[in-house]
Amino acid sequence: MIYRISVPAVADVEEIRVLEWHGEPGHRFDSGDLVVELETHKAIVEVRAGQPAVLRQVLSEAGKWQQIGLPLALLSDDAGEPLPEEVDSAADLMVDFEIT
Amino acid sequence: MSGKPAVTTEKIFFREAISRAMREEMRQNERIFIMGQDVGAFGGSYREFDGLFVEFGAARVRDMPVAEAAMVGVGVGAAAAGYRPLVSVTYMDFMMLGFDPLINYGAKLRYKTGGRLTAPVVVKTTAGAKGQGVAHSQCIEAWLMGVPGLKIVAPSTPADAYGLLKAALHEDGPVVFIDHKRLFPVAGQVPLSEGMVPIGQAHVCRTGTDVTITAHSFMTRVAMEAAKLLEADGISAEVVDLRTLAPLDMRTIADSVGRTGALLTLEEGQVTCGVGLEVIGRVHELLGPIPSARTGALPAPVSSNKVLEAACLPDAQRVLEAVQMLLGKRSRRSGRKIASFVPDGQ
Amino acid sequence: MMLIRAFEQALARRKDHGFQLLSSGEEAVAVGLCSALTGKDQLLTGGRSIGPALARGLAPDLVMAELLGRKSGTNRGKAGRGHLADPKAGFFGAHAVVGGNISIAVGVALSMQMSASGGIVAILFGDGASGAGALHESLNIAAIWNLPVLFVCNNNQFSVSTPRSAALAPSNISDIGAAFGMPSRTIDGMDVELVAGVAGEMAEKIRAGSGPQFLECISYRFSSHATTARETRSREELASIRSLCPIERHRKGLLGAGIIDRESETRLDHEVADIVTRALAFADASEFPDPAEVLTDVW
Repeated sequence: MIYRISVPAVADVEEIRVLEWHGEPGHRFDSGDLVVELETHKAIVEVRAGQPAVLRQVLSEAGKWQQIGLPLALLSDDAGEPLPEEVDSAADLMVDFEIT
Repeated sequence: MSGKPAVTTEKIFFREAISRAMREEMRQNERIFIMGQDVGAFGGSYREFDGLFVEFGAARVRDMPVAEAAMVGVGVGAAAAGYRPLVSVTYMDFMMLGFDPLINYGAKLRYKTGGRLTAPVVVKTTAGAKGQGVAHSQCIEAWLMGVPGLKIVAPSTPADAYGLLKAALHEDGPVVFIDHKRLFPVAGQVPLSEGMVPIGQAHVCRTGTDVTITAHSFMTRVAMEAAKLLEADGISAEVVDLRTLAPLDMRTIADSVGRTGALLTLEEGQVTCGVGLEVIGRVHELLGPIPSARTGALPAPVSSNKVLEAACLPDAQRVLEAVQMLLGKRSRRSGRKIASFVPDGQ
Repeated sequence: MMLIRAFEQALARRKDHGFQLLSSGEEAVAVGLCSALTGKDQLLTGGRSIGPALARGLAPDLVMAELLGRKSGTNRGKAGRGHLADPKAGFFGAHAVVGGNISIAVGVALSMQMSASGGIVAILFGDGASGAGALHESLNIAAIWNLPVLFVCNNNQFSVSTPRSAALAPSNISDIGAAFGMPSRTIDGMDVELVAGVAGEMAEKIRAGSGPQFLECISYRFSSHATTARETRSREELASIRSLCPIERHRKGLLGAGIIDRESETRLDHEVADIVTRALAFADASEFPDPAEVLTDVW
């Protein structure tokens, strides 16, 4: 199954800047692994995988800006699954996020 | 237009525009230093001084006890003695404690010494309401506009924060630099190369033909929002971002009002003796009695209560209604009082 | 001290003297303090500035011209007594707001520390300023940053009409300095040699980097608070105060020790009188500023 990570809804934030991806496409994240750090105007948001998944495509690289709710990356259960044309068809990956 | 090099810009947070300006200026001039609460390792209440303590050390990024009167005085004194301090007053409400050294000494120093001394100090402060309550929400820039010798700037974008802060740090006398709580979530394009914004220069950020809306700081964003609503209503609004409150750029303002023929002033502070009243007074002196109106906070303290704070402050809808009233297009059917336009008790 | 006394008396006799705060009776504090300062140091004062300015070495001609509003004065006539300033001469300036110059002085001291100039700042204020938050906040900052400041309280025991005992809780004003952990002393401010000695010791220690110190000098003013203020003390009290004159005391001491004799005394009197006469003549021969100067030096 194909998943996407979108920018989590953080209070008082409209857009974020991607700080750092903690894996390249092909990397398998386990539950609890730190996937990406996002910068808001006042803090850093750590986005951790809530389920195991393979990172397949980074849509917003480090240094790029993205709005709340919009997609950052595509992931999948298995490394070989074909990626869809439409990002919208992907399900939301379960994630935990922590603001530091 | 040929011959003008493309300015490269980068999108950064509002706070980063401030820290970038500080970093560049502090690298160029070792006499610039920062004083304030939580400016050191903490990096400033809004992280607007992030990284500066690590780069420049405790001698140039100084944490202070809570003592604004002495803090401003020490800054003014150090400036008079040859340094260029930036005094960070966390919330504009607290500036009142520092009025004596800033106004009675700093702003008057050049005059009272017959030019022998001057105080190149920047007092940076954060104005505006964002749920913090009656004594942590004020916009009192209007109180300072009439002080001879004191310059006041108020950016509404990260680029202008960067440019005006750099300019302020090059001035020979005291400058009050006012940012806003609700501007810190804003990101925007900021020049990568030197992008000083001249003090005393307003900016037409949206051209229009039916009315001029003057605003500053966060309210410039509200004015821009209102201009979109007005456009849908068939009214073409020109928005002038004041950027500098003292000295006011009357050339840009008067030129705009001369073209549109109507003026609505917008501020978050009180309209009584406010920024808008000064703008209107000067426009009338220059152009005659052009139809004008003021919009600002209701005449009440700004509570931390979400409902009451929102009721007190101007928003795009209230600006829309004020312009409609000004231009005589207001529908009277709803009968709703435009509180910001004709407040009770005034 | 003689110069200050003669200068101020001549000034006060003039119809056009305006609003002046005189140091008559308090000359030993200004003179003793200034003898402890070098060319690298800066002196700041409150509104009682004439005595300290002359003690610091400002040219009497230029001071008189300034006080009488002439553009040849130290500050083009724009400062008057309340804001006299000649930073090149080590007199960073007077400021007329009570207590308003204290945090400024700490800022000047900070600049000296940051530039390692080797100088110190002396800030002279009265008992009237000692209840002000500005003083307490400034003492705190000077103490935590170990700044080179000598806080000097000229306690003439009155704030216009309010006696010190009614205004201040500590029995010694120097206790306020001590509360912030700095060396603090209270001494007789009518003894110029004592003031000079103690101020000198304290200044040396501050120069060596030991941090701020606080010196309270008990003094008596011979006149009312200002030339336009009503006197609150009785004739008897005033007579008894005059007997404490620091000039007479010093004169007696010098005569007794054989350092001066009647001849040199008379010579001094004449020298002082000449200086004052010249200062008045200089001021009277000087022009007032042009009205157009109202708008110069604002920005």
